Amino acid sequence: MHPIKTPTRLFATLLTLLALDLQAAEGLKVHMLLVTPDNEVYASHIKGAVLGQTEGNIQGRFLGIDYQLEEVSAASGAVARDGISAVIVAAPFDQLLQVYETYAKSGVPVFNIALQNDGLRQVCRPGLYHTPPSDRMLADAEQQWAKVNDGAAITALAWHPEFVKFAGRDLNKRYTEQFGEPMDSAAWAGWAATRIVAEAVVRTSSNEGPVLNAYIRDELGFDGQKGLAQTFRNNGQLRQPLLLQDAEGQLVGEAPVRGAVADTNDLDSLGIPGCL
Amino acid sequence: MNKLSAKPRLRMLAGLPLLLVAGLLQAQTHRLFVTNEGDNTVTVIDSRTLKVEATIAVGNRPRGIGFSPDHSKVYVALGDDDAIGVIDTQNLTLVDTIPAGSDPEAFAVHPGGNLYLSNEDDNLASVLDPVSREILAEIPVGIEPEGVGVTPDGSKVLVTSESTNMVHVIDVSQNAVVANILVGARPREVTFTADSKWAFVTSEVAGEVAKLDLATNKVVQTKSLQEIDGVKPKGVLLSPDEKLLYISTGRSNSVAVLDAETLELIDNIAVGNRVWGIALSRDGSRLYAANGVSNTVSVVDTATRKEIATVDVGDMPWGVVLDD
Repeated sequence: MHPIKTPTRLFATLLTLLALDLQAAEGLKVHMLLVTPDNEVYASHIKGAVLGQTEGNIQGRFLGIDYQLEEVSAASGAVARDGISAVIVAAPFDQLLQVYETYAKSGVPVFNIALQNDGLRQVCRPGLYHTPPSDRMLADAEQQWAKVNDGAAITALAWHPEFVKFAGRDLNKRYTEQFGEPMDSAAWAGWAATRIVAEAVVRTSSNEGPVLNAYIRDELGFDGQKGLAQTFRNNGQLRQPLLLQDAEGQLVGEAPVRGAVADTNDLDSLGIPGCL
Repeated sequence: MNKLSAKPRLRMLAGLPLLLVAGLLQAQTHRLFVTNEGDNTVTVIDSRTLKVEATIAVGNRPRGIGFSPDHSKVYVALGDDDAIGVIDTQNLTLVDTIPAGSDPEAFAVHPGGNLYLSNEDDNLASVLDPVSREILAEIPVGIEPEGVGVTPDGSKVLVTSESTNMVHVIDVSQNAVVANILVGARPREVTFTADSKWAFVTSEVAGEVAKLDLATNKVVQTKSLQEIDGVKPKGVLLSPDEKLLYISTGRSNSVAVLDAETLELIDNIAVGNRVWGIALSRDGSRLYAANGVSNTVSVVDTATRKEIATVDVGDMPWGVVLDD
């Protein structure tokens, strides 16, 4: 911002900023792409992303913001288009990276909502975000549980349809009412991505990729309805509490696990803390 | 001491019709009423002796609680019954259950007697006339509406939408939303200055409190409370002299005390586990806190800023109000 020399210039600058701010907030269109091959494997991820878009539009109604979520094939996702605010990808590794390469140069944030491999996190590309927990995070959660509970066979998850704390009950209800089935981890990962885009849009009053990217990377504290505000690591992984279920699929606890770690609010006890 | 505490009440009385003034002058029962979300009861405590006087079965999933303007009744939001329960504050019986739309969580009682309530899973705020039992209006708000507050002058109602991260300002004369204010993630409760010009809103996941200017409908000040480890701000109240802000911190198990002007943290009073609902005595000398995991109500001496007693209540206490 250029230095302001006189009171009248200050006044004019403030008026302009105010006008721009109002303009940006009203009638803002946010065009998101959902890149996915035609495969049942990604059905829940897609539903989750759609729920997030629906909720973004409920908020958007009060602010004059409209979110469009356009589903496209992987081939289509590899061809750069203008006016895209964010790209959500539910696809295998190669297709994800191709989409990322397509949009990275224009600074549009790209979200992986399906893949859990740690290798993917460690490629450490700026503007590539991962909402599902990584395999290592899940393993760490299970190990923490085993430390304080002998012998129980346990599975760690991003989400559980019977989770009621932190308004989890309400999120589960909304998903089930919209889709007629329980909300699973895949759906939560899809939901998180579109809700994160919406959060960035309303906090910045912008639909521009690089602006959203900077906010998501540096300022975002996302309410993923698991209690703690969720932030992104420098390797693009969304820090998050995890849920634990037993062999019968019953919800038994949360990670970080009390008694296994010094501070259950420290989400870096799950997974690799960042780019090495 | 505490001469200032008399002023806000006198200002409020000046604005109300004579009938309500007469009503307010009825003898206070000095009773604390606590909703127990987990066992569907309300615990009644004599605040002078701290003895439990009664446990009243009310209906399913009681949460929000508040007095009628003359304090002859205390209303309870029964979320799983889609209703408002009505308790007689003198004889301690449940005298009515009024249908109130889907999943009412909390509400504010307008000085004129109507309830403005949040329908948590319908994204609505409803206006209920408890006398005619009619829903007078349904006002679309954001996702997971929770906290509802009415300005002391009765002109506005503020509703928080927890998942939409907003405070909606409702103009009572139109029963319509006139402004939507973005605040920190997961806003929960709201309180007002006695002159109706300012509001304070807690944001649970953002871990902060915001001050709103109700003339411009803007956030003018925000304070992070994250110096309190794991803080989850929920209940918020002003001291009668408006110098202090009290904020319950959820699973940080404390009530934070802030300077209401600077929003600096002055103190952090340890109470029970998962503290949400808080109430202040009219003279400000006592603060009561509902500890949802300890199943107790803490009694705090606000001069020494220490918990001086706890009272066992029902399962998962949520809200607490005092008739004094």
